[in-house]
Amino acid sequence: MTKNPVGPPSTMGHPGGRFTGPVVKPKNQKQTLLRIWSYLKLQKVELISVIIIVVMSTLLSLVGPFLIGKTIDDYIVKLDVNGAVKMALVLAGIYIASSVLTWVQTFVMIRISQKTIYRIRQQLFEQYQSLPLAFFDQRKQGDLMSRMTNDIENLNAALSQSVIQIVSSFLTIVGTAFALFYLDWMLALVTLTVIPLIVWATKQIIKRSSVNYKERQRNLGALNGYIEETISNADIITLFGKEKQSIEEFREANEKLRTSAMRADTISGFMGPINNFMNNLGLSLVIGTGAIMAVTSGLSIGVIASFVTYTRQFFRPINQLSNLLNTFQSAIAGSERVFEILDESQEVADVTNAKVKNTFAGNVTFQNVDFAYEQGKPILHGIDFHAQAGETIAIVGPTGSGKTTIIQLLTRFYDATGGRILLDGEPIEHYQMSNVRDHVGVVLQDTYLFSGTVRENIRFGKLDATNEEVEEAAKVAFAHNYIKYLPEQYETVLTSGGLNLSQGQRQLIAIARAILEDPDLLILDEATSSVDTMTEVHIQKGLSNLMKGRTSFVIAHRLKTIENANQILVINEGKIVERGNHQTLMNNQGFYAALQSQLMA
Amino acid sequence: MQAVLKLTKYIRPYIVFAIIAPVMMLIEVGMDLLQPTILQHIIDDGISQGDTSYIIKMFGLMMGTSMIALIGGIGCSVYASKTAVNFATDLRQDLYETITYFSNNSKDKFTLGKLITNLTSDVEMLQRAVTMLLKIFVRGPMMFIGAVVIVFVTARELFPILLVVVPILAFAMYFFTSLSGKLFHKVQRVVDQVNTKVQENLAGIRVIKAYNRKNHQIEQFTDVNTQLMKRSMTADQIIGVLAPLTMFVVNLGIVAALWLGAIKVESETIKVGVILAFINYLMMVMQGLMSSSMVLVQLARAIPSAGRIVEVLDEKADIQSPNQPVQNSVRGEVEFQQVSFSYIKGTEPVLKNVNFHAKAGETIGIIGMTGSGKSTLVKMVSRLFDVDQGVVKIDGVPIQQYDVEQLRQSIGFAPQKATLFSKTIADNIRYGNEMASDDRLEEALLAACATEFIEKLPSGKEHLLTQGATNLSGGQKQRLAMARAFIRKPAILVLDDVTSAVDSISEKKIQQAIEKQFGQATKFIVSSKISSIRHADQILVMDDGQIVACGSHEELLKTNSMYQEIDKTQEGKGGTLHD
Repeated sequence: MTKNPVGPPSTMGHPGGRFTGPVVKPKNQKQTLLRIWSYLKLQKVELISVIIIVVMSTLLSLVGPFLIGKTIDDYIVKLDVNGAVKMALVLAGIYIASSVLTWVQTFVMIRISQKTIYRIRQQLFEQYQSLPLAFFDQRKQGDLMSRMTNDIENLNAALSQSVIQIVSSFLTIVGTAFALFYLDWMLALVTLTVIPLIVWATKQIIKRSSVNYKERQRNLGALNGYIEETISNADIITLFGKEKQSIEEFREANEKLRTSAMRADTISGFMGPINNFMNNLGLSLVIGTGAIMAVTSGLSIGVIASFVTYTRQFFRPINQLSNLLNTFQSAIAGSERVFEILDESQEVADVTNAKVKNTFAGNVTFQNVDFAYEQGKPILHGIDFHAQAGETIAIVGPTGSGKTTIIQLLTRFYDATGGRILLDGEPIEHYQMSNVRDHVGVVLQDTYLFSGTVRENIRFGKLDATNEEVEEAAKVAFAHNYIKYLPEQYETVLTSGGLNLSQGQRQLIAIARAILEDPDLLILDEATSSVDTMTEVHIQKGLSNLMKGRTSFVIAHRLKTIENANQILVINEGKIVERGNHQTLMNNQGFYAALQSQLMA
Repeated sequence: MQAVLKLTKYIRPYIVFAIIAPVMMLIEVGMDLLQPTILQHIIDDGISQGDTSYIIKMFGLMMGTSMIALIGGIGCSVYASKTAVNFATDLRQDLYETITYFSNNSKDKFTLGKLITNLTSDVEMLQRAVTMLLKIFVRGPMMFIGAVVIVFVTARELFPILLVVVPILAFAMYFFTSLSGKLFHKVQRVVDQVNTKVQENLAGIRVIKAYNRKNHQIEQFTDVNTQLMKRSMTADQIIGVLAPLTMFVVNLGIVAALWLGAIKVESETIKVGVILAFINYLMMVMQGLMSSSMVLVQLARAIPSAGRIVEVLDEKADIQSPNQPVQNSVRGEVEFQQVSFSYIKGTEPVLKNVNFHAKAGETIGIIGMTGSGKSTLVKMVSRLFDVDQGVVKIDGVPIQQYDVEQLRQSIGFAPQKATLFSKTIADNIRYGNEMASDDRLEEALLAACATEFIEKLPSGKEHLLTQGATNLSGGQKQRLAMARAFIRKPAILVLDDVTSAVDSISEKKIQQAIEKQFGQATKFIVSSKISSIRHADQILVMDDGQIVACGSHEELLKTNSMYQEIDKTQEGKGGTLHD
């Protein structure tokens, strides 16, 4: 079993590597390849040198077996020790050179691929930051995540290894074929007969495993989904005493996986032994035929030796090539998924000469504003109101009526599809988007905290805030009260999502964040919904300090908050059905009054 | 390592397969090892004697051994897969059963996320390890040893070359394997950082946009991204030395073989075929070493997985039914006597000396600030935890004497977090009682004020919920969670702050429905709103793990200052207008 290593050795004991599951085929291979090339082009010099080096190192590796045969024929068989030693030295020199070249090519290629991957990763991240919210509404977070991780990783693997391997395998195959024919065309023909056999066998296995692998992956997916859901909801299972039932359901899914996994694993496991067999078969053919030819037509032992060495060098890349192409295809498919995101249109760009204001007075006017997330499904129609600077506007209405959408138009998370929104008398699109967002403070319904300390999370509202400012804001938000009891106070490290705090505590940090930002307009989207009523009273005090002198939009469900608003907009099915202050609305005897009286009953 | 031994019991049922697989692999390796020797004989005996029939015989032998090797290899693959898949399936089942019976204490200890990882990736990691162990871990070392032995026996003149080459190879592999472990550990840490960053930025995208922090976030990402590039590059480039290095060492072995061979052939101690065979064995030595070291790395990675799994399996189910549980069905009288409890033993208790007595059919309201121990108290009724001190009695019998399943069957519990399954609404409600008739289902939905919104859904009760029921609002989820408890018609009904997101009008309707339909049941209603518990027969006011006062709404208004304060802050607040 001669095996002259070219490139990195195969990872498994069997020649031919392993089967890695069905290949995801790219949709538009050519275009994607061109696009990958456009990144690689940035490192043209390195890339060209790699290709030159690969050619050189492959050629050198072709010389080795040839010289071995020659040494045997011309010197060893003829008992010329001095000549043999000389040849050995030449051979040693070639091997040194080829090892060094191989390392250099890997070194440079890794550099190229890592830099490329870095660029793509960076671009993708920046793209995520620049996409409109509507994009995130339609996509699953896990999917976006896997584009950043798996897909890019696939490309990395392909670039750093497969490119070199594919080129060198190809060169090796062609070069070896030449050498074989040069040495002895008849024996070469015999050797080549094995190739169709290898290709056929590989295809058969891949065909069969793909089917089984898909089934296996499906079952595994189903099982993992079941695990995730039942373990996350384990409380309910315990409370309702459903342990036996869920164990049985699990068993069913588990058994399905047992069957399909067994089939898939077994068949793909055939790849190794079969490749091994093909190699042995090739070797036997070469040796058998070669020996007979040696006896009958005087073929030299050296040529047989060269053939034996070449054969291995020849079959290995053929075994690997299909695998390599698979890796490469997954990489292209992965890149395609990444490029797909990069091609999504970003948030609308600012108009030319967009305005920038240092402070906003806070006059907000909605003129006949329409909005739809999807065409034909309007969420808001004909919204019309005016908020005087400094006023508090309460927005009430049932779930799904469009309350949140109204305030999302104010932060330009979305742009109105009809009508105009004026900020200090100027259409909101005329300002730089960043300028508007810098001056509008938002406390969202579902607070998000980043991993990092409490202090860093509050400071998110104003990046250059001093420690004192941070703590001052926390005090106003009544967050200081519990923060001082945390193990490390303001330096307590929060987990991703802030899950080690209660929902109410997270809300308080979000409020502190908004307070620190000191915005000209304030938006509170059910900001106190998850805080217990006693705490809420405290926060309300903080919030009313904050709201003083600023135009504030409040989506609240507690009537008390609403009562004090300057204006109340009652929204139903995307329209303002009633407006006025608490008193006028009560006198109107409409929707609002009806709700109130039902509560008092 | 001890963990690994413990897991061998899952191999035991398949021990026959587990023995056949390596034996078959031995056959394959054995046959492979014969090939160069046959080759040597063809050259040295066949060609040099011009013996065609000998050559054909040997050629037949080579083909024969190749076939046997194929059978061995396929056999090994079949039995190794059988062992590994069966092992993993059984282990997963056991693990799942263990986790399902975990008490809350154990779940908190391991955390749900880790338990999910145990069941998914850890088990898979072990499955892969078993396959490798049976396949390649046999092939690699055997090939190495076999090749060395054969060279020693048949080509002893060239053996010194192995004495030099093998230690160098072994050292290089050892060195690079351990180095790569360290390097990739470092890379992995940055990978984790990058992943966390991306994940957070996706989850927090609204906050980032609202605060216009795009550039700030990009800056932070650039840092970790650059670090990842640098570390990966270094790691890959250093590890990239191994392949050319081994190739070089082996090739030098070939050179030495030619050199030494030329001398030995000249002195007629060996024949040419031996050199050729030796070169082939040299390759096998390298291959054997290489695959052994790779498998070792993989196995080393599997050991922590095994450790984690064994830890879970060894966790004792601390809440268990007694051997001879009491048989009487639960009426609903609940009594706490001097109950104390802490989640982490030795720390300040969450419940301190809690005493109260609820007669069957009474409504018990529990009010207090966040963190005062309200939820913990009601969880004790379902025996989600065992008390540290004191006793919880149901119908006068200590709770530990009931069969746990029977106890929980008689309780309808709507927990604070309204978790639902990704099933239809009807299936979710029937989770509370599979036998329930359609009428009863309707009744439960009506009582929970859920009918109205369900009717608006395109497929009504057959509406399929997404995982985590993200397509429902908080109030809607709470209504469904209540309906799921109602449908049981339990002797004890526990509603743990489940109307916080429900509007006040609906809440009122729900209260009335409960009064009407569950007159017989003992009802525990936890809330931070006075309006939710005002009509309770007894109201327990909790503060810092203690019941500071107990009585009816009117009594407490007169006597308890804390209750007065709560009432004052909530007075005139009205209710909530919408979900």
